[in-house]
Amino acid sequence: MNKWGLIISLTIIAAGLLYLFIKSIRGRDVERRFIFLFMGLAVAVPILFNISFSEKATPIVKAAFDKIENLPPGSKILISFDYDPAMAPEVNPMTDAFVRHAMAKGHRVYFMNLWATGQPMVATAIDRIIKTEFPEKKNGVDYVNLGYKAGGTGVLNVIITDIRKMYLTDVNGINLDSLPIMNGIRSLRDMDLLISVGGGLPGVKEWVLFAGDPGHIPVVGGCAAVSAPLLYPYYPNQLMGLLGGIKGAAEYESELKRKYPRFAETPQPGIKMMGPQTMAHLVIMAFIIFGNISYFVLKSRGE
Amino acid sequence: MNNSRIWSIVIFAAAVLIFGLSWIIIGSQAGHNLTDAFLVTVAAFLTLSILSFLYKDNPYYKFAEHLFVGVSAAYWMSVGFWSTFVGNLLPRISPSLCTYFGVPYKGFDIFFFIPLILGVFLLMRLSSKMGWLSRWSLAFIVGTTAGLNLIRYLRSDFISQVSNTFVPLVTDWRGIGPFFSDFSLSITGQFAMSLSNWVIFVGVFCGLIYFFFSKEHKGAFGYASRMGIWVLMITFGASFGYTVMGRVSLLVGRLTFLFHDWLGLVK
Amino acid sequence: MKFKIMILGCLLLALALPALAQDSVKTVEASAIPAISPPAPATNVTAMDSPNDNGHSLTLRWTLSADDGAGQKTVLGYKFLRSFFPDSGFVLREGMAPSGSSEYVDMGGRKPDDRDFMPNDTDYYYIVRAITADSNVYSDSPVIGPVKAVGQLYNVGRTLVLVFVLCFAAITIFFIRRARKGAKLFVRRLAGIEAVDEAIGRATEMGKPILYVLGLGTAADIATIASFTILGRVAKKVAEYQTGLIVPCYDAIVMTVAQETVRTAYLDAGRPDAYNDDMVYYVTSNQFAYVAAVNGTMLRQLPATNIYMGTFYAESLLLAETGALAGSVQISGTDQVAQIPFFVVACDYTLIGEELYAASAYLSREPILLGSLKAQDYGKAAIIVISILGIIASQFRWNWFLELFKAGN
Repeated sequence: MNKWGLIISLTIIAAGLLYLFIKSIRGRDVERRFIFLFMGLAVAVPILFNISFSEKATPIVKAAFDKIENLPPGSKILISFDYDPAMAPEVNPMTDAFVRHAMAKGHRVYFMNLWATGQPMVATAIDRIIKTEFPEKKNGVDYVNLGYKAGGTGVLNVIITDIRKMYLTDVNGINLDSLPIMNGIRSLRDMDLLISVGGGLPGVKEWVLFAGDPGHIPVVGGCAAVSAPLLYPYYPNQLMGLLGGIKGAAEYESELKRKYPRFAETPQPGIKMMGPQTMAHLVIMAFIIFGNISYFVLKSRGE
Repeated sequence: MNNSRIWSIVIFAAAVLIFGLSWIIIGSQAGHNLTDAFLVTVAAFLTLSILSFLYKDNPYYKFAEHLFVGVSAAYWMSVGFWSTFVGNLLPRISPSLCTYFGVPYKGFDIFFFIPLILGVFLLMRLSSKMGWLSRWSLAFIVGTTAGLNLIRYLRSDFISQVSNTFVPLVTDWRGIGPFFSDFSLSITGQFAMSLSNWVIFVGVFCGLIYFFFSKEHKGAFGYASRMGIWVLMITFGASFGYTVMGRVSLLVGRLTFLFHDWLGLVK
Repeated sequence: MKFKIMILGCLLLALALPALAQDSVKTVEASAIPAISPPAPATNVTAMDSPNDNGHSLTLRWTLSADDGAGQKTVLGYKFLRSFFPDSGFVLREGMAPSGSSEYVDMGGRKPDDRDFMPNDTDYYYIVRAITADSNVYSDSPVIGPVKAVGQLYNVGRTLVLVFVLCFAAITIFFIRRARKGAKLFVRRLAGIEAVDEAIGRATEMGKPILYVLGLGTAADIATIASFTILGRVAKKVAEYQTGLIVPCYDAIVMTVAQETVRTAYLDAGRPDAYNDDMVYYVTSNQFAYVAAVNGTMLRQLPATNIYMGTFYAESLLLAETGALAGSVQISGTDQVAQIPFFVVACDYTLIGEELYAASAYLSREPILLGSLKAQDYGKAAIIVISILGIIASQFRWNWFLELFKAGN
């Protein structure tokens, strides 16, 4: 980590907070644009100086990691990209880590989407991870992109009994029956693991309700932070593991790095984003404290 | 010409200049071509346009927002056409259209006319005279969704969730002696496990009591209900914290794009 | 003579070799690759119709090979051979079961023109093959069969779901009927609803209007429907106190219903003359444009009270924050769990989730709403009782009780 970067970041943040603190004990209003600007700085400076911290996987993330790690090589993993570009910065690090891990373990990966806007996300993940880091992996043999089908939970209701009722071809129009990876795959029940990454509707919850539970198929989830608290109740019985927001992604990356030292040099957007994230959280915690101080100061003055 | 008009012209000119220059500079760098550079520049312009809303509402923000809404609507429509209409329907109804669109024909199936007809009915909303037909399709959608969801939700969200609360309040009890001699605060230890099971039990119990409307919340019931609202507030706090993290992640994502892909300031 | 015996010996050997090769435990290949010897086969193989389905599927169970996870540890998994006859025609199926698993469901197509069609009521014979890393080294179990796939009319695994649906439906119908007959069903008072009356009084004193936001839901959303009931009550009070009311709408149909609701409320209050259609107006169906417009109204007209009831998304905090800035008393209610925290921090009173529906039942005294609310309360009581029993069962390991709640597919 860049030590000077950390010092400069902390100095800027400390100066801003001091200004706000003085304002708050005087009980003055702070222009909201100043808050936006300050928040922007608190995030931008750590990015510019590449500040990051070490992460350790929590049990819920470790459970997700172990699930993929303990499957025998050649297992069939379906990864559904249920998100759009607006959610991508938060959940792309998760899909990247899942794909990297599955490929490194030699699993067969099936990509699909319940969101139309997720289709290009799969294409970019294949280009970014598989084609650059695993050039020996072949489309149709080691992985396949089934693409998007409209219908949300309706799609899940169909493919749990027969994938070919919904998907006749892969995303490139190639007949599924001609792809070696599809041999022996009739329905979702033939998958060894389902992974859904998303944060809206349909998302992880729908995969648990409409695929995992009825088919008795293990499901691992990755979700935008907003929906994480709503998914915790499904762990550990209905959801094998869960990556909540960028913190979950960073923990997964750290576990991947620990287990596979070859990934030490590959991009780790999750861990990288946790630097500015931590700074921003410090600032927000300070805001909450200052807000309360200001409130009590004003109350004691009887304003 | 009034002041604000002059300002808007100046800002517009500055934007054209900055983003034009950015296109040329990025395009001239090694490893980039003009098309790439144009796309990155447009993305940077749209990002900044959206962020400009933090200062105040302005035409650049409106332009970016409308562009986003329009493009995503069109995108959903075109993907829907190719994946559902061409991908699923045509292979079951028309060999000639399959040849035309280059998808494999899977044999005629008369049942596929049902969704086709219901789909056409749904489009009848556009007509004021035939609009009532769309209600049939909607009734079908609402009815089947409600039926399917009832079973799934009852099974997964009700029965499974209730059975998830079946946790022993004292885990792995081997007597007081071993409890103290093996005492540990580790997350998998007996104490922590029992404590978390208590939290689940008390949380579910009191949370349900709070949402009990048939009885006045007084006495012991009132205490449980108050505990329930505490549990709810803690949940909301966690939810709020997670949301903050999510929003900051999105900001980090956009700023990383600006600094890395557009300006090349960070590696 | 010796030559003839040699030829005969060779012929016998040639005949015996394929027979040896068909033996249940392969030995020939093992000598070619000395590193892996054939594993022990799977034993106690059983085949049966898969339960609770429409047929076209058979379930195989077996006891793990002695070399699966133990012994030589060479078994990587199990593959399956199927035939219509007990002694010939066995064909390898596509799927496989990983090592350590002792069950496999062999599913086929359901219609004659489906790929891999598997007809019901047809005899099948199976062999379970324990496989190793070398595709030539494996061992087969004895043939098992015949077994038929049969469809079932009733899914036993869903009995519990059926029981809950029937019980809940019965309780709901019972309470709706009671409410219709005029029984007084008690619903506790809700702080948020009490606050509405106070807030209307405050608006009257201040001579400022009340802003009512129905959210982004459509007229079919339950939260929006509940919100109409509350709007009716607010509008009636407003009409009585002669305060102003502003209802900006996001959806055209919602606006029509809201206009009707407010008009009826003014009529009920005996002040139809005070109503005008401009109180309830359509803004736009664009989320943030709607927020901008409503926020503008808040800052310009400075309403004494803002009420947000219905379905809200990301705009919840934007609206509530602006309202707090304008100094209005704010009351909110939504069933969107993710948005409740924002309302809680920015509003004076919040109806949390189900309280919104309860408020609607409490105010309208509509039998269907009241009956459903009562039935829900009984449902919650049932959950509490079942949870406590489950906790006791879990503590004392009454597995029969825990098994009851293992829902099938």
